[in-house]
Amino acid sequence: MTLNQTMTRDVTTIDETEWDFHEALVNVLPSLRQQAYALTRNRADADDLVQAAVGNALAAKTSFQVGTNFKAWMLRIVRNRFLSDMRRRRETVAIEDAPQELFARSGGQEDNLVMQELRRNLARLPADQRLALMMITVQGMSYEEVSEQLGVAVGTLKCRVFRARKQLQAWLMGDEAPTRAKATRVAMTASARGRDARNIKGAEAGVSLQH
Amino acid sequence: MPARPAQARKGRNSSPRDAFDLWLKRGLHDMFDDVAREPIPPELLALIDKDRQS
Repeated sequence: MTLNQTMTRDVTTIDETEWDFHEALVNVLPSLRQQAYALTRNRADADDLVQAAVGNALAAKTSFQVGTNFKAWMLRIVRNRFLSDMRRRRETVAIEDAPQELFARSGGQEDNLVMQELRRNLARLPADQRLALMMITVQGMSYEEVSEQLGVAVGTLKCRVFRARKQLQAWLMGDEAPTRAKATRVAMTASARGRDARNIKGAEAGVSLQH
Repeated sequence: MPARPAQARKGRNSSPRDAFDLWLKRGLHDMFDDVAREPIPPELLALIDKDRQS
């Protein structure tokens, strides 16, 4: 039985008289820790996030409807806690202050340079793209499962994962500019060339067209 | 450690994009699998157990 099947077992074959909230919570922790790590990019912050979310979940356990998707409920708590922590942090900490050791390898082990680059660039992606990419690629969920967990349309998820992969590929292959920004840069360059050409003509005619 | 994407072995029908996706998948597993395998922090289990007892 895969980890994911184990995690959802208590939801799909639920017997309300046997289902135990605390047991379900312990069972879902490995998955939640991965998701928190994808969001926070930092082990210590991920542990703090999960601990806070578990506290919130325990306080709100009577609001959980047995028979509904417990994993989705827990993930919603984790994400909401992440977002509120981020908002609070923005109010007190300069945005430029990034957490140290983003996706750093634990135990002081050294990565090769390429893996270091992957870690560094994964940290640059928007949190929602990182989370979707991790759930699909690492946790092996289907788009439909992730859609149910995150409350996001399948099409939106596919877009996030596609963009995440495309952006990582661009960065790792040495192309710093994302596709859309590159197109804008090309258009701006073409416009500037046109303006310069007009200025040269104007200068020859004794008129400045710069503005 | 996963090799650089350009060095990933290519199958008969694979494209550079497939090679990158395969390399990325291995890299992400390398980053995230450990997290799921680590023991749950004792303080977290204690928090849940304390609530269970109350």
